[in-house]
Amino acid sequence: MVVEKALLKVDAIDAYYGRSQALFGVSFDVGRREVVAVVGRNGAGKTTTLRAIMGLNPVKSGAISFDSTRIDGMKSHQIARSGISYVPETRDPFSLLTVEENIMLGHRRGSPYDLRRIVEWFPDLAGLLRRRGSELSGGQQQMMVIGRGLAPGPRLLLLDEPSQGLAPVVVKKVGETLAALRGEDLSVVLVEQNIGFALSLADRVVVMENGIVVDRLSSIESQRHPERIERYLGIH
Amino acid sequence: MRSSDHNGTVLAKSIEEPVEISSVGTTARPGPLTANLIRSIGIIGAVSILPLVMPINIATEILIFGIFAMAANLLIGTAGLYSFGQAAFFGTGGYAAGYLLAHGWTSLPLALVVACGSGGLIAAAVGILSIRRLGIYFMMLTFAFNQLVYYIVYSWRSVTGGEDGLAGIRRPVLELPFVGSFSFDDNRSFYALASVLFLATMIVLVRMVNSPFGLVLAASRQNSRRTVSLGYPVPMLQLVAFVIAGAISGVAGALFAMLYRIMPIDSVHWTGSAYVVFMVVIGGQRNMLGPVIGAAVFIWLQGLFSLVWTRWPLLLGVFVIVIMASLPNGLVGFVSKLSSWTVKGRGQRQC
Repeated sequence: MVVEKALLKVDAIDAYYGRSQALFGVSFDVGRREVVAVVGRNGAGKTTTLRAIMGLNPVKSGAISFDSTRIDGMKSHQIARSGISYVPETRDPFSLLTVEENIMLGHRRGSPYDLRRIVEWFPDLAGLLRRRGSELSGGQQQMMVIGRGLAPGPRLLLLDEPSQGLAPVVVKKVGETLAALRGEDLSVVLVEQNIGFALSLADRVVVMENGIVVDRLSSIESQRHPERIERYLGIH
Repeated sequence: MRSSDHNGTVLAKSIEEPVEISSVGTTARPGPLTANLIRSIGIIGAVSILPLVMPINIATEILIFGIFAMAANLLIGTAGLYSFGQAAFFGTGGYAAGYLLAHGWTSLPLALVVACGSGGLIAAAVGILSIRRLGIYFMMLTFAFNQLVYYIVYSWRSVTGGEDGLAGIRRPVLELPFVGSFSFDDNRSFYALASVLFLATMIVLVRMVNSPFGLVLAASRQNSRRTVSLGYPVPMLQLVAFVIAGAISGVAGALFAMLYRIMPIDSVHWTGSAYVVFMVVIGGQRNMLGPVIGAAVFIWLQGLFSLVWTRWPLLLGVFVIVIMASLPNGLVGFVSKLSSWTVKGRGQRQC
């Protein structure tokens, strides 16, 4: 499935860890204001794909374009400045900085998202702004780093396993916030193992296995034929 | 949005006034205005009293090494760059300004600009080649460059005086239009000059640490790759910090050369780089006051131990080990911990 005027275009990329190939000709597109979920088992290459987009894993062949500009080969900070935010699986809060500093570290002039806006999305952070990043629970940290990812006012948000390790009630809250972001001029690539969570938010689903894209489904297809996804995840 | 606790009040304020990155550091970090005012008055008071309680040259030396240690703390405490080559920049500034002052150029602004520029220039050269190396490799590279500078100074006898040091340095003169010229030959006027430069350096560095630039350096200290992926060119910003620290170290070196009217070769030796790290560790890295306290204690102990025993470096070494083992946040960290215990104790008694 090719999206008209894709915001992000990943075109047949190969990526390696040392001499070991992790991605084999991975291709997919993300349209404007679209949420694309990338699902697959551990080791399928989901995180590597996000890292490759972000310039953290070098791409040996293929191309990545963002808003019609080639970004593969650009430095990570240049990619971030072009309008892509990455929220890693490991969260990586700056533990010695306050919550406010953590969030505003991502902020850039001209961003539509100031501290007030971010706290409106994550009201749980309201009373915690002066606490250190290390003093938060896992769910609060996740909200903080998503807030940090939104602070620059990105056009594309790369979210890596935002539900990992969180209690169901917190996952629900994070999901509600991400759903609320649908009204914004924001596209999302959501890497998830929690299929229910991913399908509740995604417009399209890309299924990966062993570094290869093995299936692509629309939101309707994924809901009508969940077995197409489940067989790659070993659920059946 | 309301909250009953203190954090909530702070938040309510921040929500009413949307915070931009340009103001984050300044809103989030320093304490209330009155606390800052008290702290500032305390520092100015201490600088004024210092020459009354000890020989004026020792007091001046404390201020000079305070400047040097604050510059080192911008790297160590804020950016997490453990440089073991800061003496190279201190020495370069001292020799460059000293050379001018020994050869008839006695203008204070000229001497300071040359010291600042030469320290910064050598720091830029060293930084470009070493800033991308991490941990022990960065330390070893800065150490190796320090030794390189030392051997250049040692060998370039015609300019530096080699092993004997650069002698014949004169104190500078400050020419002010319509006012006249100020000479710093008198030790008290030279102390006043050192005080002004010390306070100016402290203001500049405190503002820098609390600015968005300082915030990014602090973040990169914790996780450099994550800071890069937030859109910051971390190695470039670290290089800027390294050059600033080098330039300020150069000014400290120039003041040292002016103070004793000689620039000894020891000032550029790697032990000088180790000593400034000790000063930062003894005082504490949390704020810019720590390194100054560290410098004062270090210089005072150096004098005290040298009177007690000829093998005084051994005693100094033991002291540094004890501090590092028992007070990981240095003397300033210990004092703030002590005061928080006292406040807690009072609170419990009141309950």
